[in-house]
Amino acid sequence: MTRSHISETPTSLIEVRQLGKTVNTATGPIHILTDINLRINAGESLAIIGTSGSGKSTLLGLLAGLDLPSQGEVFIQQHALTTMDEDARAELRNQLIGFVFQAFQLLPGLTALENVMLPLELSHRADAEVVAAALLQRVGLGNRLTHTPKQLSGGEQQRVALARAFVTQPRILFADEPTGNLDRKTGAHIIDLLFELNAEQQTTLILVTHDVQLAQRCQHTITLEGGCML
Amino acid sequence: MKALALAFKLLFRDYRSGELSLLFLALIIAVTSVTAISLLADRLQQTMVTQAAEFLAADLVVNSTTPISADIVQMATGLNLQQAQSIEFTSVIMENEQLLLAGVKAVSNNYPLRGQLKTSLSDYATEQIQAHGPERNTVWVEKRILSALNLKLGEQLRIGEKALTISHVLTYEPDKRGDLYSLSPRAMLNTEDLAATQVIQPGSHIHYFWQFAGAPEALAQFKQQLKPLLNPSQKLMDIHEDRPEIGGALQRAERYLGLSSIVIVLIAGVTIAMSTRRYSERHLDTAALLRCLGSTQAQILTLFTWQIILLGVLASSVGCGLGWLLQDFLLHLLASLLPQKIAAPSLLSIVFGLLMGIIILLGFALPPLLQLRKVSALRVLRRDLEPLPASAWLVYGLAISLLSVLIWQYTHDLRMTATIGLSGVAGFVLLYALAYGLLTLLKPLLPKLSLAWRLSLQNLVQERSTSISQILAFSMALMVMQLSYTVKSDLIDNWQQQLPVQAPNHFALNIFPEQVHSVEQDIQLATQGNSHFYPIVRGRLTAINDVAVQRYVTKDSQGQQATERDLSLTWSESLPPDNTLVSGNWWQDKREGVVSVEQKLAENLGIKMGDRLTFTVGSEQFTAQVSSLRQVHWETMQPNFYMIFAPGNLERFAHTFLTSFYLAPAQKAFLNTLVKNYPSITVLEVDQILAQLKTILTQLTTTINYLFSLGVLAGFTVLFAAITASLDQRKHKSAIMRTLGANSRLLNTIHCIEFAGLGLISGILAVCLAESVTWVLYHFVMHLEYHSRVLLWVLIPLSASGVIAAAGYFGLLKVSQTTPMQILRSL
Repeated sequence: MTRSHISETPTSLIEVRQLGKTVNTATGPIHILTDINLRINAGESLAIIGTSGSGKSTLLGLLAGLDLPSQGEVFIQQHALTTMDEDARAELRNQLIGFVFQAFQLLPGLTALENVMLPLELSHRADAEVVAAALLQRVGLGNRLTHTPKQLSGGEQQRVALARAFVTQPRILFADEPTGNLDRKTGAHIIDLLFELNAEQQTTLILVTHDVQLAQRCQHTITLEGGCML
Repeated sequence: MKALALAFKLLFRDYRSGELSLLFLALIIAVTSVTAISLLADRLQQTMVTQAAEFLAADLVVNSTTPISADIVQMATGLNLQQAQSIEFTSVIMENEQLLLAGVKAVSNNYPLRGQLKTSLSDYATEQIQAHGPERNTVWVEKRILSALNLKLGEQLRIGEKALTISHVLTYEPDKRGDLYSLSPRAMLNTEDLAATQVIQPGSHIHYFWQFAGAPEALAQFKQQLKPLLNPSQKLMDIHEDRPEIGGALQRAERYLGLSSIVIVLIAGVTIAMSTRRYSERHLDTAALLRCLGSTQAQILTLFTWQIILLGVLASSVGCGLGWLLQDFLLHLLASLLPQKIAAPSLLSIVFGLLMGIIILLGFALPPLLQLRKVSALRVLRRDLEPLPASAWLVYGLAISLLSVLIWQYTHDLRMTATIGLSGVAGFVLLYALAYGLLTLLKPLLPKLSLAWRLSLQNLVQERSTSISQILAFSMALMVMQLSYTVKSDLIDNWQQQLPVQAPNHFALNIFPEQVHSVEQDIQLATQGNSHFYPIVRGRLTAINDVAVQRYVTKDSQGQQATERDLSLTWSESLPPDNTLVSGNWWQDKREGVVSVEQKLAENLGIKMGDRLTFTVGSEQFTAQVSSLRQVHWETMQPNFYMIFAPGNLERFAHTFLTSFYLAPAQKAFLNTLVKNYPSITVLEVDQILAQLKTILTQLTTTINYLFSLGVLAGFTVLFAAITASLDQRKHKSAIMRTLGANSRLLNTIHCIEFAGLGLISGILAVCLAESVTWVLYHFVMHLEYHSRVLLWVLIPLSASGVIAAAGYFGLLKVSQTTPMQILRSL
């Protein structure tokens, strides 16, 4: 868990340079992240661990282009995220990135199938329904296609979220505390499923967790404390 | 007290975190508009009544042919009522060898109690306002007396035995009525000179008008005590009953004020309901946490109720202050059109605005609060756990009951309250069913649509209950806007029809048949217009189905007045233009012995189709069968008749003719020529009355236009609240979509389609509902003729669609300019 894990090859899929995030409050600026540098190669897996408030989720958001840094740069496939507008970043996410959130973030009005179809439909794939149904079958929800999130348990919702994340065969998967809202047994099942799908699709995995055991299943780990990499 | 202190603390924390801003804003807007309209309505209504009281020159008048008893005068003095009197009679005046029948009016020193007199000193001098009538030994006369009798200001005019100096030309008298005493050219003197004229002798035909004015409570008490004391020859007059041409307009305007108040109350209610819902949704977690920390259901309810009351008091106080400023500003805008003296606002309407705010808030906030009470502690662990829904009956029942109480409080009109309440409930159920049906119909279409269309309509269909509540809010707002517009336009149209430009403003009576042709020619020459001549036979209705008419008559009724005097009977080939047949047919096969009767008189005397009516003309009796009933618009001030016969029935009796014509002010001299050429003719001038009427109708129209604008403004606040209330949910969805790669164009398209769809459905439903409510209102409450406005059926749905789409688009524009992370964290 030192900087030695960071790849130095020129083919890095993700590259982060002197990244920082500062938030201004009434009592003065708060530095959430300071001077983060890292490189991640295609197919690698990286766990980001740290205590609550150490900046894990903020770093994940910045890596995925969901938020903008106050300082520094993030490159994905040599594209500098800070120079892109929100639409360009959205397109990049659609093409390269999948997400799994702690709170699942499924659209409540859509069925399980429609939720999974959505990323494919956004890239105008004609076979969206077939591909989505197959992936839901793969995660064990073949018989729950028409159920809305409200009709599914927490574990089932997270499996729908996994299917939605992998349905576009993303090059990178960002997972933010994917078991945080689940009990231990269900959480373990979800993690197994996540790593299986990751292996099948050879996705680059960036995982935020505070579970050290889970972090150990990744090839690399970085630890954050007070917004700085240890 | 501890609960209150805790509630205050939590409320302050909510305020600090920005959670309260929307509800606070909605409350302020609602209370501001309610207070403004309540104050405005109260002040305008009081002003209108005061203004209208000018038409009687008092608040209440006792009209009598004999002096009233000292008891009545004493009673009025005891109640601190102001008193004045006028005495009217006709008298022939002779000066410079010219004769003229004048309407003489003797007025006491206090006359008029309401309104003012106007005089001038020459043709070119400006009018002077006079608070009181002539001094002793002087007389004020209308200009026509001067020209007819070759007199000048400063000369003497002899009325009976008393010579009086002509000191002013009388140009305006507030209580000029449309009867013979008033419409003959006026000579006004002081009552103290009356005895000296020696005109009044036992048996003289004289009308006494005892006038009273004062505080409304004292007047009401006086009226109540007075009624049993009056003898059959004495009649109590107030503005609603005795000046139908004014009273009708006034009553409708008062109802419009009431309607506008209700509209604002409804809209304020919906605005608060929408915002409270969002507030309670956002407080589900707090409630769950409090349950976890050991609070009982009762404690949670108490805590949130205190918070709502505190919030209500704070926001309502601010709203009241702003409402006060707004109504003051509106009255300032209206200043040039309103009478100089506007009634002071009553304290009650200010406090009422404050109470209103709290009551509406509690009415709409209590049901969601009851939901909060039921929040499961498990929600802390599972955020998707919804509370048990509060009973729909409780929610809507409470809201409807409260609104009904408020509507009644505003209008004091049980019928209007019931009409609005029942049609509101029916409309609500209907709207719900229609919205549900329309959304269900959309569902099978979804798979065939493109992504943007599908996602936007899917939002509407899947989140059906949210969509329906929004559609209801939008429809309600649009409905009241349309309703205000329609009623306003129809009222104004109705008044304009009542008084078209160049409406006949003079009547000529007692034209003998052989004079008709030449009088017609003279009038045509002078006015360049055609006049219709109505034959008149003076006769009395004596029996209905052979039973003496007195048996059918109730005291002080229209029937009593119509049967105690000779009626003007006429015949006509065609139905007069202002009349509408309500039953029966105009002359068909049977023309002999048939009569058409005015509907209200028929109702009053219990006359039905086919009844046999007996009339006495001179010494001859004859009967006629009722072949039709007619509705007559008396307020048009045109020649109208209770009884119209078919041609061939009355010609054998002695008859004269009556006509009406329009004469511009500059053509007044023609009247003297007419009277000189045909001495038997009596000319009645109603131009002054028409001018008075026009002034008051213009004022009412302007007031109503402003009220309408307020209604529209309030309508927009509900649209704003409804859109804002759903923004959280939509922002959340948009943030997830952006995370998955949706671009801003797609998101904006989805939002536009979704809101445009909501607007279109709401617009269609609003038009259906507004048209139904209008029909019910016109039919049962306002007595106006209903006609559908085709253009609105197209315009309302399309413009609603456009406006709501634009509001939604701009409301969510920020979503596409903010990073998904920020949005997800802020919700």
